[in-house]
Amino acid sequence: MIAAFALVAGVVLGLILRPTVPTWLEPYLPIAVVAALDAVFGGVRARLDGIFDAKVFVVSFVSNVVVAALIVFLGDKLGVGGQLSTAVVVVLGIRIFGNAAAIRRHLFRA
Amino acid sequence: MTSPPNTRPNAPLTTQLLIDLVTDTLDPGYAAAAAKRRSSDPTPRWYDRPAVVVGCLLIGFTLVLAYIHANRGAPEAAKVHDRLVARVRAAQAEGASLAARAQALNSTLTRLRDQAGLGSLSGELDREQLLAGQVAATGPGLEVVLKEPPKSTASPQPGRAGSSPIGATNILTDRDVRSVVNELWADGAEAISVNDVRLTPTSAIRFAGDAVLVDFQPISAPYTIRAIGHADNLATAFASSDVASRYQTLVSADGIGFVFSERNDLQLPASPAVTPRYAHPVSPSPTSTGSSR
Repeated sequence: MIAAFALVAGVVLGLILRPTVPTWLEPYLPIAVVAALDAVFGGVRARLDGIFDAKVFVVSFVSNVVVAALIVFLGDKLGVGGQLSTAVVVVLGIRIFGNAAAIRRHLFRA
Repeated sequence: MTSPPNTRPNAPLTTQLLIDLVTDTLDPGYAAAAAKRRSSDPTPRWYDRPAVVVGCLLIGFTLVLAYIHANRGAPEAAKVHDRLVARVRAAQAEGASLAARAQALNSTLTRLRDQAGLGSLSGELDREQLLAGQVAATGPGLEVVLKEPPKSTASPQPGRAGSSPIGATNILTDRDVRSVVNELWADGAEAISVNDVRLTPTSAIRFAGDAVLVDFQPISAPYTIRAIGHADNLATAFASSDVASRYQTLVSADGIGFVFSERNDLQLPASPAVTPRYAHPVSPSPTSTGSSR
């Protein structure tokens, strides 16, 4: 419950502040979004499984973003940035799908 | 959670990696933390709630940040583009409706004139209007079709995302349409239309961007040029002309399409009437202001 409130508060905060994204951060924004979605779905699934842990939740989100950004940064320096961001999106996308399917099984028993 | 690990005894390492990726979608940290807590103390720690709040705040902030960024950057250009497209479409629709209205008024005018019974003058007027392209015309003649060569297939390596390969530019331009039209006039055509746009004495065939403009109406390939005249003479003269032989060469060299054929019954539309504003007829009639000699 409090998590949902915090999520909405974060959205509202962003809408109020309307921060401009610095240009050097731009390539990592899509990666951060996918990592954030992965963290949300993972957290919800863990909650439904009854094994939610706040520390794991926060640390997994932050580390996912950092690692993904690092991979893309490295790829950009080596000239394969586009391909590596695709790889990151694919891996995290598969996880999101799997977690969403698990959540669906929990909620609808189907 | 004590689900048995999804392992196959002799799957190669990469296969195992893929299986793990698809089946173990939940972060293994959750299971580990749960197992540890079960063994030690089940009481909630003091930082549990704040951590969740901070994490969710961060996630929400990230999502909305990306949303704002995506909405602010590229879509600005897209919005301008959409607005321009809408304006162009509206202007085109208005132009079409005005042209239709002009045609309707013109036909009313013709009917009224016929009713007025001008006698021999009426026949003369019809002939003049036909030559000026102001009435629809029908008759035998020649049809010339110019086609762009088939597009070359895209290169197998599309390159980085966001970059598009340079497409094959149009080979046919206004010059080609113009030279065919000029050749047809020279061969004795009496009325010509290009893609159902009737040519008048004031028509211009121009080029803007990637489109050929005939009387400011954009047309695109294939260009169908219909000319009314003595069909056999037109065909013979056109076939032996330099223009025709040039495009025959281009057919084999560049792969453009170039066909011309005699037609028994061509239908040419009327062109909206253009009222001359500066040109006045030189007439010996005493009513004319310029005849003070």
